Amino acid sequence: MQTTVRKWSLLLGAAAVLAVSQVAWAQLTKYDLESRMGTESHIGNITGHAKDAKADYRRYCVVCHGELGDGNGESFPWVDPKPRDFQLGVFKCRSTPTGTLPVDQDLFDTIARGLDRSNMPQWSTFTKQERADLVAWVKHFSPRWVSEKPGTPIQIPPEPEITAERIKAGRDVFAKVQCWKCHGVQGMANGPSAATLTDDLGRPIAPFNFTEGARPKCGSTDQDLFRIFMTGLDGTPMPSFADNIKPEEAWDLVFYLRTLEPQKSKEKAIAKQLALKPVDPNAPAGQQ
Amino acid sequence: MRVSRRSHLRNISNFAMPLFSVALVLVSVVLTCSQPANALPAFARKYGLRCSACHESWPMLNYFGQKFKDNGYQLMNDRDAPIWQNPGYWPVTFRIIPLWHRVSTGKVLVDTYSSGNPSPTGSAVQRLTKSGFDLSGLDFHTGGTLEKNFSFYVLPSSDATASFHFETVMARLDNLFGSGWFNIKLGKFELDNLLSEKRILTLTGNGGIYQLYHFIPQGDGNIFGQMGDNQLGVELMGHSYSDRTRYSAALLSSNNGTVQLPYGNAYTGFFAASQAFDTGKAGVQRVGFYAMVGQAPTTFLTSGGPTGPIPGSGIGNKSFSREGFVGQFYFGQHVDLQVVTQHGQDSAWFGQGYGDFIDTGATTTCNGGQPCNNTTGTVLPAGSQGPTWNGILFEPHYVYSPQLIFIGRYETIRMSRQANGPDSASPSASNFGNISTYTIGYRYNPFMTSRAGFAWHNEYNWLHQDGTGPTLGLTSANVNTSELLLGFDFDF
Amino acid sequence: MRNRYNLAAVLSAVILVCCGALILGQKVNAAGEGKITGTVKLDGTAPHMKGIDMSKDPYCSKAHASDPGHLETVLAGQNGGLENVVLYISEGLSGGALTEVPTEVPVFNQKNCMYMPHVLAMDVNQKFKVVTSDQTAHNIHPLPNPMINVGWNQSQPPGAPAVEKSWKAAEVIPVQCNIHPWMHGWFVVVKGPYATTDANGSYTINNVPPGNYTVTAWQETYGTQMQKVTVAAGKPGTADFTFKAK
Repeated sequence: MQTTVRKWSLLLGAAAVLAVSQVAWAQLTKYDLESRMGTESHIGNITGHAKDAKADYRRYCVVCHGELGDGNGESFPWVDPKPRDFQLGVFKCRSTPTGTLPVDQDLFDTIARGLDRSNMPQWSTFTKQERADLVAWVKHFSPRWVSEKPGTPIQIPPEPEITAERIKAGRDVFAKVQCWKCHGVQGMANGPSAATLTDDLGRPIAPFNFTEGARPKCGSTDQDLFRIFMTGLDGTPMPSFADNIKPEEAWDLVFYLRTLEPQKSKEKAIAKQLALKPVDPNAPAGQQ
Repeated sequence: MRVSRRSHLRNISNFAMPLFSVALVLVSVVLTCSQPANALPAFARKYGLRCSACHESWPMLNYFGQKFKDNGYQLMNDRDAPIWQNPGYWPVTFRIIPLWHRVSTGKVLVDTYSSGNPSPTGSAVQRLTKSGFDLSGLDFHTGGTLEKNFSFYVLPSSDATASFHFETVMARLDNLFGSGWFNIKLGKFELDNLLSEKRILTLTGNGGIYQLYHFIPQGDGNIFGQMGDNQLGVELMGHSYSDRTRYSAALLSSNNGTVQLPYGNAYTGFFAASQAFDTGKAGVQRVGFYAMVGQAPTTFLTSGGPTGPIPGSGIGNKSFSREGFVGQFYFGQHVDLQVVTQHGQDSAWFGQGYGDFIDTGATTTCNGGQPCNNTTGTVLPAGSQGPTWNGILFEPHYVYSPQLIFIGRYETIRMSRQANGPDSASPSASNFGNISTYTIGYRYNPFMTSRAGFAWHNEYNWLHQDGTGPTLGLTSANVNTSELLLGFDFDF
Repeated sequence: MRNRYNLAAVLSAVILVCCGALILGQKVNAAGEGKITGTVKLDGTAPHMKGIDMSKDPYCSKAHASDPGHLETVLAGQNGGLENVVLYISEGLSGGALTEVPTEVPVFNQKNCMYMPHVLAMDVNQKFKVVTSDQTAHNIHPLPNPMINVGWNQSQPPGAPAVEKSWKAAEVIPVQCNIHPWMHGWFVVVKGPYATTDANGSYTINNVPPGNYTVTAWQETYGTQMQKVTVAAGKPGTADFTFKAK
């Protein structure tokens, strides 16, 4: 699907593209990129410049993400999950609502954090300046950063104390919004819909398995978990639950999710004490 | 059996052998020169990354490559274990270098002949130059993970005549207690030198090693103390998440990596620590220090006469130490400077040639013709003192691009105290054995993929050593050796 | 590039409006007058619409116990009328008829684990709503070309509030629910007046000022067809389409 190249000029007559029912996403040329070489990023008091990241991108990134940032580098056929296509401006790990661009800090964090269970390493050895420059470079691949502003990061209220009530309430949220449809009632990534999931490009994708002790792709702190289900992971089947989970309920869910993990935690100890059972998928709504 | 590489490392400093053969061996250095380097397209293949991701220029590591190595050859993405690889994947890499070089050694003592007389009638000092096509040794690298957090590295390495030894054999338990601060390695491995000699960017006989890592004073019999050689031992190392802070502590057998316990029950400790700092646009600067303190035997039981030492029977341990600072300084995206200093000290016994009696038992003499064995009743000659020296190494790089690097190096080692002090019968000149060497070169990688490495290599080295040439009149000559090398350095 | 496109679009719109105002005078305000009507038919036998196995979600299969769900990629009535064909004016529109955004808010409902309607047409920037009538969780996940529109992905568990959105550019956007992989529908975003055929295949595009136009019919399986149509004052234009069954 990626290989179907459609000329950018076609977009100028956008009305003419209606007949396209297959995914045939546009591809930029070197010329388009050259014109955006002045792209900047702002991380705290550091300003990143796209042009300064050219050498680093070539040294570290181009092998997967490609000269044109389209994720079609030489390793594309061999790596799974596939490298991100920066031209689309769609990113999993955001602090901003679904359908919006991430803020610079999100990309900055992702570069250092890497993406667990993928070929994206933790580039934590870079200087902050290098990472900021690379953020600007990543942005210069997509015209979205010219026409749109990044979303407003979602509000994360201060983390409350972990209590048995909150963990039980979190279990109710897990049942109510039906996380188990994909993640399974025990978080083993074996829900009824798990096997048929595909990403936005139609490639098979697995839901996160909480029971393996692996790190979630977008971070493993409590705040990261909060962000993940409230913003969704764009480009994947993971939707945003921002409309359906209230912020205080969200903390309950975070605590409950911790009980599914194999790691020792306060949440897990409480769950054991409560003899908490997995949610019942057949129970009528609201009667767990 | 001694590691073949070692012969050339030692030859620069072998005082007791006839000077003529010293010079000849010096010339032959290049023939046996094989610098095993741990650049592994096997890793590049495994992770789909190019050489440049881990190497400033292959085989020298950058900070990311150093972190990968410190993690036990793991990206830490929960996909490092071989179970995630295609079953056909086997982490093996070959490296060899076909080359042309020209080696020129000044002041070699040669016989002279007169017409009608087949026997030498005298000797003269002259320059010896040779050139031609040649090969390096061959390295078979294999390494990686046996399972998540269980790493290994095995490197059978041959010299240019396919005589093999085990350059590296180690297994490592990574991230003990779930922490990067605890990793334990057992086997034969390179010491935790920030500026790794196994990843050196130069290839000539004298420029393809760090003199600082192998220096021993002229006539010194210490069987150990060569930081550059891979050693047998156990190492505990740890590092912070981003590898900015790192330390290592190793306990090593004092046998310089030679297998089958040829010497005795002596151990050496090696400790290194460093800290890196993010300095914005300049890059990441790293400063650290290392210290190696140990003992090695000077006394061996003998069998069948004083020149027949029994292997493994070494006692009479004497001490030695090496310590210094290391700096890795970056000046923007293109220029960096690597600096290593060293202060070294050997016991006076080593200074007089005691120590390496297993190898040199039959051929070397100490203290006026005695076997070099510190047995009961042996005394040091008057005026003996423990040799000390100071050295410094500067290696600037200009990285034009990941595919082209220019390398320069200046190393100097100055004796600060000679084994034969001013009170001895024949005191050594204060500069005896001093070394200065310059190396310049470049490496150009015409392509860069995640499958193989290939570099066009061109290098020139000039080495000067004081007082180790043939004796002319009352003073020993200084020796200059130069080498020009062109070659294809490739691995796959 | 996006900027340039937007600029070009705005500029040309402004120019068109000015020219239109100069030349057509009062006719700019006559947008409500004309319409285009017609029917869309299928020539041949409609392909068999495969049944859907919903057994993975008991709620869905129970909802379809008496009326098994099936694919909806070609829905032909008894007289051959094609349902869910979107008709819009691809050429000839100018002025207010082109730029005016309807105020009504079409609704895309998730009911019995199917999309109602299967195809939802709308104008650029027109607000629409996604609601759920089901007692099982859905996620509503449109997949636009990220170079044209911005996609999103929102959960809609039972009782979820409506999601109200709009699209900024014309595009045919597939919609899916990842939880129920058989749930597949379309947002057809067009510029200007549009209509969708009913079960008999008939349609009426309202609010078309008199003039000469090209009407395009879009069907998800058979693609597009175009026809020239003239709309005169008081006399609707007609355009009938026939898609060949494949």
